[in-house]
Amino acid sequence: LSAPAELEGWTGHDVTVADIERQIAGLRQASAARTDGPDLRTSVMTHMAWVPEEWVDAAHETLGGLAERHPSRTILLVPDPDAESGLDADLSLRCFPLHEHHGHVCSEVIELRLRGDRTRAPASIVTPLLISDLPAFLRWRGRPPFGKPELVQLVDVVDRLIVDSAEWPDPPEAYGELAEVFDATAVSDIAWGRGLLWRRELALSWPRITEVRELHVVGPRADALLLVGWLRSRLGRPMQLAHEDADALVAVALDGKAVSPPRGEDRSASDLLSEELDRFGRDPVYEDAVRAAHV
Amino acid sequence: MARVVEQQPENPLLAGLRLRRTPEPCALVIFGASGDLTQRKLIPALYSLAFRRLLPENFGVVGVARTEASTEEFVERMEEAVKEHGRDEFRQDVWDALAEGMRYVATDFADEGGEDVVMEVLDELDRERGTAGNRVHYLAVPPAAMSTLIRELGERRSREGWTRLIIEKPFGRDLASARSLNQQLAEHFTEDEVFRIDHYLGKETVQNMLALRFANGIFEPVWNRQFIDHVQITVAESLGIGGRASFYEESGAIRDIFQNHLLQLVALTAMEPPIDFTADSVRNEKVKVLRSLHTPGPKNVVRGQYGPGFIEGVEVPGYREEEGVAPDSVTETYFAAKLYVDNWRWADTPFYVRTGKRLPRRETTIAIQFKRAPHPPFEETAADGLRPNVLLVHVQPDEGVSLAIGAKVPGQGMSIRTVHMDFLYGGAFRTGLPEAYERLILDAMLGDATLFTRTDEVEEQWSLVDAITASWPRDRPSFPNYAAGSWGPPSADELIHRDGRSWRRH
Repeated sequence: LSAPAELEGWTGHDVTVADIERQIAGLRQASAARTDGPDLRTSVMTHMAWVPEEWVDAAHETLGGLAERHPSRTILLVPDPDAESGLDADLSLRCFPLHEHHGHVCSEVIELRLRGDRTRAPASIVTPLLISDLPAFLRWRGRPPFGKPELVQLVDVVDRLIVDSAEWPDPPEAYGELAEVFDATAVSDIAWGRGLLWRRELALSWPRITEVRELHVVGPRADALLLVGWLRSRLGRPMQLAHEDADALVAVALDGKAVSPPRGEDRSASDLLSEELDRFGRDPVYEDAVRAAHV
Repeated sequence: MARVVEQQPENPLLAGLRLRRTPEPCALVIFGASGDLTQRKLIPALYSLAFRRLLPENFGVVGVARTEASTEEFVERMEEAVKEHGRDEFRQDVWDALAEGMRYVATDFADEGGEDVVMEVLDELDRERGTAGNRVHYLAVPPAAMSTLIRELGERRSREGWTRLIIEKPFGRDLASARSLNQQLAEHFTEDEVFRIDHYLGKETVQNMLALRFANGIFEPVWNRQFIDHVQITVAESLGIGGRASFYEESGAIRDIFQNHLLQLVALTAMEPPIDFTADSVRNEKVKVLRSLHTPGPKNVVRGQYGPGFIEGVEVPGYREEEGVAPDSVTETYFAAKLYVDNWRWADTPFYVRTGKRLPRRETTIAIQFKRAPHPPFEETAADGLRPNVLLVHVQPDEGVSLAIGAKVPGQGMSIRTVHMDFLYGGAFRTGLPEAYERLILDAMLGDATLFTRTDEVEEQWSLVDAITASWPRDRPSFPNYAAGSWGPPSADELIHRDGRSWRRH
């Protein structure tokens, strides 16, 4: 993978959606005129992210490792409810050279700062900016405000909501609220994605695992809860969880007996999000695990 | 590479788990390990598989060739090969883990004693690396050595574990020799143990032909004689024959490219939808196409041989001046034909195919040219720039798909010209396309033969080649008949112009 070149950019204060659309078109024309080959706009989705101020740096970092794999229109929504009402935009074209081909493939990054009461109806701002006929994904940074209009509205216009429940202060309680979203849109949890290799490993313990009473996990609390929720729901029986906190899932034991660590590559935040962006439709196994983790 | 593994209902933990396909422990034996293919393709492919942790933990590689060398020298040479030809960054730890299981045996393939040494090394790998008696023998050897090797391997099959054979082309040089090879194989191996490789089938873009056709509702309804005027398939190379004169003198373009790659592309373009993507379903449909191919008469076949010319501004010699080539050689370096698939879907729809060396550029494309719009309601001059719709599948380079459509030229009036809508693989999936050999070696280790050629396919391919070449020994073509750097002999243009069509513009 190669590093993107930000060929063109534009920043505007107190803008309208029409300004944004016009400026994006202008950036494309300027970029095509500057490079020696044609610029291609190849998009596989609209990727939205709701990014409160404290998550902005992390979101940029993840995005940096992601754009090349998922050419998309990315819309970062940074809410600033306490500021004076208005909409600011920071637009850029991220272009990647094409191997064995003159020209670039370019994706648009639209960073919008929603100030004051403009945070109340974000869907009305992003809907005109969605790329037609392609799926829209929403990555919600931090704990989603379940039931609040900004979340409900955005969930309504996307095909998939992606969260990382390890970013929340209150799992498993919040899982109950999350489960209520399942009928509104497909949901992915990056904490669930992180546990994939361990789930593969644990699946190999069948049928011995049916006798196990306690799962011991060293790792983020959310990851541990989802693992035990998965075992409870798949095996249809109760299982205790003993949890030790750590930044990553590093050890799992069944009734005190260590499970051999899985083989497989270490996946970055971008890799994990990238995998979720490849999924379509609901994941009933995950949904059952969430409900059982909440028990 | 991930594939949803068939769920075992008794293990509820497997529900929805995408299991990575990792082969069972095994040893890969490469016969012909000192050759170019091993250095440029096979070992770099193994490195890429190791890089992605797709090889089994218990794995070993045995290189076998006539060239005298120690294991250390072999490993050193292969390390250089990976650095030069690998598609991934070189990581010493990945290489060291792979190299630890490497061995080299210098022997003649016809030497029974040598085979015994190979078997001893394999037994040693079983003990030291836990390869469990499972063997993949990769036969990249000259045709003359093939049958001896098949017999020797058959007689020395591992008693434990499974044995599979990957067989590089050429698989025979005509129908009789291919049948004879198939019979020898059948004496010692079952069909599901034999993997005849055609590396074109390992290419993502070739497989994408199946996705394009069978995953998109808009194409299949028009994929027939009612809507398609004709199909053009081009496999063009700008290179000459390199150091392969002795091989090429025997094979020529028809055996080197047409018999395998080109006919596979025809089959994938013309086949009916398989009921699923299992090896036999896909291959059954391809064989039906090969059986439906009408043998082209001499008027519908063109042979050519390149003379001196220029490639990318550099003067290059003619074929007959290449080292190792007879000065009066009549080997064809260019082959074109008009084929018909005699079935309900394709009756009367020509498939123009061509392949050649020293053409202006390297390019493999499948062009589906649709019939013209029946009555464009524009003035005649308005549609001057309008050409028929063409769906162009770029197999290499610039992997992707383009659709040529007519669009209005901005401004007053109603001028129309052809523009391209492009889908570039590199634009939509920026992950880097795996090399064909990575996919194929992994599939063989997993026992998945979908992308390999079956006995009956090979025999159908040779049967057509035999029918075309039957009259060739009686002719003395006037070679050379095209200059290096041109698009082939004038007779190839005549072949298609006779039908009021022309080869795609490049």
